[in-house]
Formats: sequence, C-alpha cells, structure tokens
Amino acid sequence: MKWQILIDGHPVEIDPQDLEAVKEVEPGVYSVLMDGRSFEVRTIAAQDVLSVETGGRRFTVEVRDPRNASRQSRAATGSGRQRISAPMPGKVVRLLIREGDAVDIGQGLIVVEAMKMQNEMKASRAGRVVEVCVRDGDTVTAGDTLVVIE
Amino acid sequence: MFRKVLIANRGEIAVRVIRALRELNIESVAVFSDVDRTALHVRMADEAEHIGPAPSSESYLRIDRILEAAKKHGVDAIHPGYGFLSENADFADACEAAGLIFIGPTADSIRRLGSKTAARTLAKEANVPTVPGSEEPAKDIEAARRLARALVYPVLLKASAGGGGKGMRRVDAESELEAAIREASSEAERSFRNSEIYIEKLIDKPRHIEIQIAGDRHGNLVHLGERECSLQRRHQKIVEECPSPMITTHPEMRVAMGEAALRIARSAGYSSLGTVEFLADVQGNFYFLEVNTRLQVEHPVTELVTGYDLVRLQLQIAAGEKLPFKQEDIQWRGSALECRICAEDPENNFFPSPGKIVQLREPSGPGVRLDSGVYPGWTVPIDYDPLLAKLVVWDENRDATIRRMLRALNEYSIAGVETNLSFFREIMDDPVFRKGWLHTGFVGDFFARRKPKSMPSQELELAAALAAAHSKNGHAKNGQPATRSQKPETSNWLADGRGSLLR
Repeated sequence: MKWQILIDGHPVEIDPQDLEAVKEVEPGVYSVLMDGRSFEVRTIAAQDVLSVETGGRRFTVEVRDPRNASRQSRAATGSGRQRISAPMPGKVVRLLIREGDAVDIGQGLIVVEAMKMQNEMKASRAGRVVEVCVRDGDTVTAGDTLVVIE
Repeated sequence: MFRKVLIANRGEIAVRVIRALRELNIESVAVFSDVDRTALHVRMADEAEHIGPAPSSESYLRIDRILEAAKKHGVDAIHPGYGFLSENADFADACEAAGLIFIGPTADSIRRLGSKTAARTLAKEANVPTVPGSEEPAKDIEAARRLARALVYPVLLKASAGGGGKGMRRVDAESELEAAIREASSEAERSFRNSEIYIEKLIDKPRHIEIQIAGDRHGNLVHLGERECSLQRRHQKIVEECPSPMITTHPEMRVAMGEAALRIARSAGYSSLGTVEFLADVQGNFYFLEVNTRLQVEHPVTELVTGYDLVRLQLQIAAGEKLPFKQEDIQWRGSALECRICAEDPENNFFPSPGKIVQLREPSGPGVRLDSGVYPGWTVPIDYDPLLAKLVVWDENRDATIRRMLRALNEYSIAGVETNLSFFREIMDDPVFRKGWLHTGFVGDFFARRKPKSMPSQELELAAALAAAHSKNGHAKNGQPATRSQKPETSNWLADGRGSLLR
C-alpha cells in the first residue's frame, strides 16, 4: 500500500520503498537523494499538518490516513459564527467593541500590539458580537480567539 | 583603554559590541529584562545584570537602573548601541555625572543635532542643501497653506521629533492639507508627545544615501563614504549597500556629500561615530535629512568596504585616542550588501511574527558575515523590534555581491517564526534591483509588479512528500528497524507501510 500525501492539497503517492532515499540528518531535517539529485528538506509539525520547506519553497503537507480522509477539514467554516483570532502573539491594547454590539464588515474590533507595531483586527462579515474573550492588557498567543461574531 | 564596559542594549547589537570588547580584552556587562534572561547577549557577556520587566520603558530605557547596574559591576564606560537610550542627551549627561564615559558624542552634540528642526538650521548655516520647506513648525493652517502653495504640491508633512515614518504624510492637493496636518500632528503627539509638524517639498523617487562620519576628541574628523539605504518598508531600512549604485555612476557625489557631512559635524563639534543622512533626487542633487548621533544598524556595510572596525574605532575615540587614520588613507574596495533578517511576514504587510525559533541553519562561507542575536530554541519576545540578525556579504562588485547574497540567503533557514528571508531572495533576483534603480518607494513598486511564483517542480514536491512520509514514519529511519507505535489504533496502511519497509 502506498502513502497518500497531500502537498498543498495536491495528492502524491509514495511507495514505502522510496523512503530509502531519505535520511534524517538533524532533528526534523532530511537529506533526500533522488536520481542522483540532492535535496535538503526541513519539516515542522503543526497540529495535523507538516510545514515542509525545500528549495526555498514552503509546502503544507498532510500525510493522509485513508480511514478518515473523508471527514478531514472543511468542518470549520460554514456556520454563522465567526471567530476572530490572534494572528501572532501580542498584547491587547484596545477593545473597540463590546458584547452585543452590531458590527459591519471591515469594522475594527480590537487592537493587538506586537513588536512596537499595532494591528487592528477587523470583522470579515457583518453581525453581532456575542463574545469578547480578552481584556485590555491581556497577552495573547497566536490562534487565541479574541472575539466571536454571529 | 577601558577595563570593563556595560552595554545598555540587547539583541544582535549587544552581541556585536561584546565581540569588539573581547577583541580589546575589555570585560563586558550585559543588562537584561525579564524576557531576555536567556538571550544570546546575556549568554555571551562576561557579566550580566537584570534591570526590570519586559517593557523597555521599565528596563532598557530606565537610566536609573542601568546606572545602578554599572555601579554594581564597576564599569568605566557604557555603550548604548542603537535605539533605546543611544540618542538621549540626558542619559549621556547622567553617565558623566556618575563618573562614567558615554560611548558616543557629547550630550551637547546630541542636543544640537537631535531635533530635526535644529539640525536643519545648523545644516543651512553650514551651507549644506536642505529640502525646501518651513523653518518653523507649521502652527496655523493659513500659514501652512501659503507655504505649501509656494513649495508647489506634492508636499510632505513631517513630525519635528519624528522617525520611522510616524507623523509623515504626503499631500497632493490643498484640499487634503488641513486633514493631513490634523492626522499627522495627532500621530506625532501619540508617538513622540510632540505634535510639531513641518512642511517640505516632496522629492519624487528619492534615494536615501547617508555618510558615515568619525571624529575624535582632538579635532580630527573624517568621513567613511556612503551607504545607500533606499530599500525600506514602513519607512524603515531593510537593505543597505556600499557603494551606492548612484555614486558608482556619479563618483563626485561621494566627495560632495562627504564634505557636506563634515561641515555639519564640524559646526556641531562632533566627536564620535555618526551618520549624516541625505535624500538624493534622480538628477543627483542631494538634500540634508538628519543626523544620527550613534552607531547605525547598517554599520557593517561600511566596515566591509573600508576594512575598519567601527565599533572598535568608537571605543578608541571614547577612550580619548586619536583617529588611527586620515581622510586620504580611507579607500573603498569592492561592494557590500546587508539584509536585515526580521521576524515578520512580508506577505502580510511585514507584520511582526514573534515566537520560538525551532530550527536554525545559518549561512557561512566566503564573504559572508552574520551578526545575529538569536539561537535555536530562543523565543523572540513580543516586546522589542523584530530584527533577528543582519546578513552582510562582500564581493568584488555589485553583481557578484548580489549573487553571493542570494547564495547565502539560500543557505539560511529559520523555522518557527515567519521571516523576510524569501522576500529578500526575490529582491536579489529582481531585475530592477539588479540594475540599481532604487528609491524609497521601491518595495511598494516591487509588490505591484511582482509576478506570482512559478509552480514548484515535481521533484521538489516529491522530495517534500518523501521527507514528510519519513517523518510520519518516525522510528523507521536510518536503517533502524521500525518499532511498533505506542498507540493501539495504528492504522492498517501504516502497519503495511512499515511491513514493506522491513522486507
């Protein structure tokens, strides 16, 4: 049976015997020799996927388990709820809305500061603020939910 | 020479200063905030002292705590690096009052050159061209209108105390002027607690070219040529080089700008390293911008083409030594280029990306210098600017230097935080950059003309897939027999994959 691998969503099949071409040379760093060509590949595991870098390109790679391939992804979107999450670690410096407020698409919700730069998080759809998960001065990490809009 | 020096800074510049001190057999004292306990500069210094919580206003900007640390460790002098307290005249005074040498110019020089309006007046007196504009901060709107009309639109609004593009606005027509002044002064007030705005003629497609100067305490003053720093994002430099491509075709500009810079320095009684910044227009006219009374981030570019160690020179000057060379001894050889490697995302308006560096491969080899402040496992704090390292290369001429930079960038890999490495790879490959057609709006233009990336080759995808499969396969590597997964629900295909590996 072959490995089913998705490279940026594009399927590639790998024969297990081909893995002989690969050596892990440092933790997370692989040397790949294919037809006499040498590649250095760096991998970082992030949740379900791998971030893989080689030849100056970065790929998002999913090594697929055939049993649950059908129910992978596509579950997050579609509902009427929109979660605004922090794109990077930082500090909440200003809240521009309160719970219950109606917001328009593009309206500023919250200002997060990191490395001397302020970033205003905006609503990507119109709706009502149902939850404000942070307070002024809170430190947040990447991916933390800041505001929920419905 | 000094016996022990405290570095009132952090990151790559603190490391740079520690290296210079060590080469002179001077002991180094690092200072650090809560989040910098394990920073590289603390690891490398001979001694280190905690000076407060993460926010710089409670640590790296606290004159009292830094002086306390200096006293406790018995230092002779303080090196301020760049940023933080480096251009703070009160800090220079406080050092002197505490019996310590401030490694920089005198407090008086900092005051005379620190305010942009004061420096402009001084430049005019020294017969150095300035961008046509207001002498006084624009106070009422009527006066501002008259002035802008006389200058002919477009004009530029600038904060008197400004820097980093804060409080700066381009105004194309009179109808926009009033609102622009209001916005610029409130931004200036927020950023610098000084709402003063002045108005200048806008120079179209200007180049940023600056002159490195060095003066000793015996009246000797030289310039070490220019650096072109036209590649900027958010009004902050990201690529610097020497020689400037413009000066390569107009060599007389180096002489004229060098002499202009020295006239300003002389009239301010300058005695340390400093940089006089100019804007140059497409015809080769140049206009005084401001003086930076400190060591610049991009000083290595000048070091590589002149062969002098500027931090060592700065220490020698502060210790009262004479400049070890004269103007006519200074020669410029080859071409040097610097890229500021930052934890930021070029695809998202260069937004900062702090976090943990989980993997790091640093470039090396011929002509490559890396001034870095990070190491694998280090968490880049959110509290300071995103500069991780400066990659600086030298080669015989600009073309070779760009190719060498590209080679070094391709060796460089940082994982865990977003960086501008791939952005710099594209810039080095950009035909407009290669031709040296630079101006301060270059980065914006580049994004507008940038072509989408070509599809990656199939073999690259295959290599990525193989490595990913190998990493998921985990234990079955390097010829070692595969071990059974701890999880009970190992999938059939995985077991099958391992089985075939063992065959």
